[in-house]
Amino acid sequence: MNYEISLLTTMAISVMFALSLNLITGFCGQISLGHAAFQGVGAYAAALLAKAGWPFLATLPVSMLLAGALGVIVGLASLRVRADFLAITTMGVVFLFVGVVRQQDVLGGELGISGIPDHGLGKAGFMVVALLACAAVAALSVYIKRTWMGRVFNGIAEDEDTMRVLSIDVPRYKLAAFALGTALAGLSGAFYAYHLQFIGADNFGFVESITVLSMVVFGGIGSVPGVVIAAALLSVLPAWFQVIGDYKLLVYGGLLFLMMRFSPGGMAALARRFFNPVTPQGGRT
Amino acid sequence: MLFVELIAQGLVQGSIYALIALGLTLVYGLLRILHVAHAALFTLGAYVGVLACNASGSLTVAFVCAALVAGLAGVTMYRLAYQPLLAQPPFVALIASIGLFIAAEEAFRIVFGAQGLSFSDPPLQGQVTLGSALQFKQAEIMVMVGTAVIIGVLAWLQTRTRVGVACQATVSDPQMAESFGISLRQVRDINFFVGSALAGFAGVWVALLNNLVEPTMGSVPSYKALAIIVLGGLGSIPGTLAASLVLGVVEAFGTIYLGQLLDRNAIAFAFLIAVLMIRPQGLFARR
Amino acid sequence: MTRPDKPQPLLVVDGVTVRFGGLVAIDNVSFEVREGELLGLIGPNGAGKTTMLRAITGVARPAQGQVLLDGESLNGQPIHQRIRRGLSLSQQLVKPLRGITLEENVALAAAKAKTVRPLRALLHVSSADELAQARRELERVGIAALAGQSPATQPLGVLKRLEMARALALGPRLLLLDEPLAGLNSKEAHALADTIADINRQGVTVVLIEHNLGEVLRICQRLVVLDNGRKIGEGEPRAVMADPVVRTAYLGGDTVEAKHA
Repeated sequence: MNYEISLLTTMAISVMFALSLNLITGFCGQISLGHAAFQGVGAYAAALLAKAGWPFLATLPVSMLLAGALGVIVGLASLRVRADFLAITTMGVVFLFVGVVRQQDVLGGELGISGIPDHGLGKAGFMVVALLACAAVAALSVYIKRTWMGRVFNGIAEDEDTMRVLSIDVPRYKLAAFALGTALAGLSGAFYAYHLQFIGADNFGFVESITVLSMVVFGGIGSVPGVVIAAALLSVLPAWFQVIGDYKLLVYGGLLFLMMRFSPGGMAALARRFFNPVTPQGGRT
Repeated sequence: MLFVELIAQGLVQGSIYALIALGLTLVYGLLRILHVAHAALFTLGAYVGVLACNASGSLTVAFVCAALVAGLAGVTMYRLAYQPLLAQPPFVALIASIGLFIAAEEAFRIVFGAQGLSFSDPPLQGQVTLGSALQFKQAEIMVMVGTAVIIGVLAWLQTRTRVGVACQATVSDPQMAESFGISLRQVRDINFFVGSALAGFAGVWVALLNNLVEPTMGSVPSYKALAIIVLGGLGSIPGTLAASLVLGVVEAFGTIYLGQLLDRNAIAFAFLIAVLMIRPQGLFARR
Repeated sequence: MTRPDKPQPLLVVDGVTVRFGGLVAIDNVSFEVREGELLGLIGPNGAGKTTMLRAITGVARPAQGQVLLDGESLNGQPIHQRIRRGLSLSQQLVKPLRGITLEENVALAAAKAKTVRPLRALLHVSSADELAQARRELERVGIAALAGQSPATQPLGVLKRLEMARALALGPRLLLLDEPLAGLNSKEAHALADTIADINRQGVTVVLIEHNLGEVLRICQRLVVLDNGRKIGEGEPRAVMADPVVRTAYLGGDTVEAKHA
């Protein structure tokens, strides 16, 4: 039973993380190649606070705040650069994060932070809280889509120049997306730290950033159910397919490639084609 | 003399970056796609080069094979992955590229093993002394010379031959180029071939410098190459070259002076971000 | 020279020059738009009319000169801010949002008050009012029947009217229309021109770019003529059209060096 509980917790954390990126990329159209840095900020914040004696639940808001604050800074910086450069700038952010953290002994240096105190909820209790948090993030995502913020985000993702002519303060909305998305990434980071009880800078690098991005794209950018399912599946893919074992990354890379090649709208697009065999509109989810 | 040594080191490293970044900038200038899988061609060239050299004993054969194989592989990537996705939003090609990249690195690991390959009799390992105290490995000098020669040839080709001019035109304005009868497909094939061949070429050089080829060797240089093409002005060959060398030197100095604060890779990106904040269009932007 | 009894013009274009690379698209053009008028901005193809509208809305930045709204310079103000101050643009190159229906497109503009800040937008879910307003605007331009359809399958004439409905839904003081009649047959064009005149009578100042000179002459109160980026004529429609310089620009084959009117 312990193994399954741990697996479900991992899934919940990954889904939370993926949904947070979906807010930025899926709703607002900003490709971020450095999202893991924000999860890392949340994780390190929680780890350090935990070691200082803070109770688990108290670390959550701090993790979110710090991650969101960094998100706003990065967001402001990214507004200055051209759209094509945004992806690479975000890539730079995550390399910077790893690079800085690894050199600071107070943050554990190259060895990271180990022996993170227990959350006191027990394995099953922690899983439940993680699942609840994950559900809350999903609910928030769905809610946002139904509000005017969601409609504006959709417009920005499709054609931001037109949105400006429609009186929308595009930079401000992009910042809002960044702030929300990175704060929620920080939340997933806090759970991550308590779940593994050990973190290192390399857990939040470029590879992890493109992994979570692939989950979002695989599920279907912007689609909440799609991203939830994709993240849940892909995060435990290595565990489920022991038989693939040695070839798991090969399968992962191949799946990504094939999905993009044959259904760029991800699983959500596949589902729509399956349940609704009329000619779909091209482009946006 | 530390100063001069650092510059020299930086130029060597910068030459390697230039070879990789050139291919990337050619692709980005054409297609606006972040060709992450370019890294795999670098590694492929390294493997092919080492195998060819060990089999034939000749470094020249190694270079030729590496360039050819990498070039062809690059064109294949274009035909298989990018061409069908041209009509889609750019992130689609990016993720497809990432998928290819991950799969390729794994394929290398599975086929060649994780330990890595080495030259059975590494050439160009002798020492060369320049000036009063600069010591280089022969291979290091050759990298710089080789890169300079290649860039020179490429620049000449781009401005003096019909093919080269066609490539330039296609980068600036594809529709207009097409209306002048330039075959976009041909131009793209050529650009991918040349760019990928360069990456393969660079792979062999790095194999020479480290006497080791392993599956993940392509990642880090390629990430930095992505930063370089932004710094250098997308699609600009002279800009990319300049940015590569600058980055190599900045890294060399940065590792010494900023090593307490940042590790080596972070220095490259810190530089990138700092530049973009001051000049959002990059160091050598043309537009 | 200020005349205290004359009300301040709503919009002033003052010595505006716009360059694209080496090309001068607009060359030192000045004119006024008075509150409540229906001004036609005409000229042969490539005269710079669309660029002029873009300079006013802020899509294009003038190399020299300025645009003033209510006496205040708009230089440096971002597009969305100019729109919130009362400008509204219906573009020549129509770009509806393809993922949503026609009425949802217009509703997005109608939601101007709710979308001013992300936080406020987050707190508002209902779109009933905006959809109702959207239908009214679509009705005004004559395409209410297509409200629930996707823009992806509509002909140009419908999309142009969608553009206009969207621009109207923003509740503008100054409406900039870039070739709203293009793609319409003569009956539809006549009807839409009447609608534009109605909108103007209801208090909206309109600047209209149009090639359909018949309708322009019918509804516009004043004309400004551009050719090759320069202003070559201005004034009452019939007088302007009788001006030999203007006639040559339109009917002559080659470019004539135009004198400023």
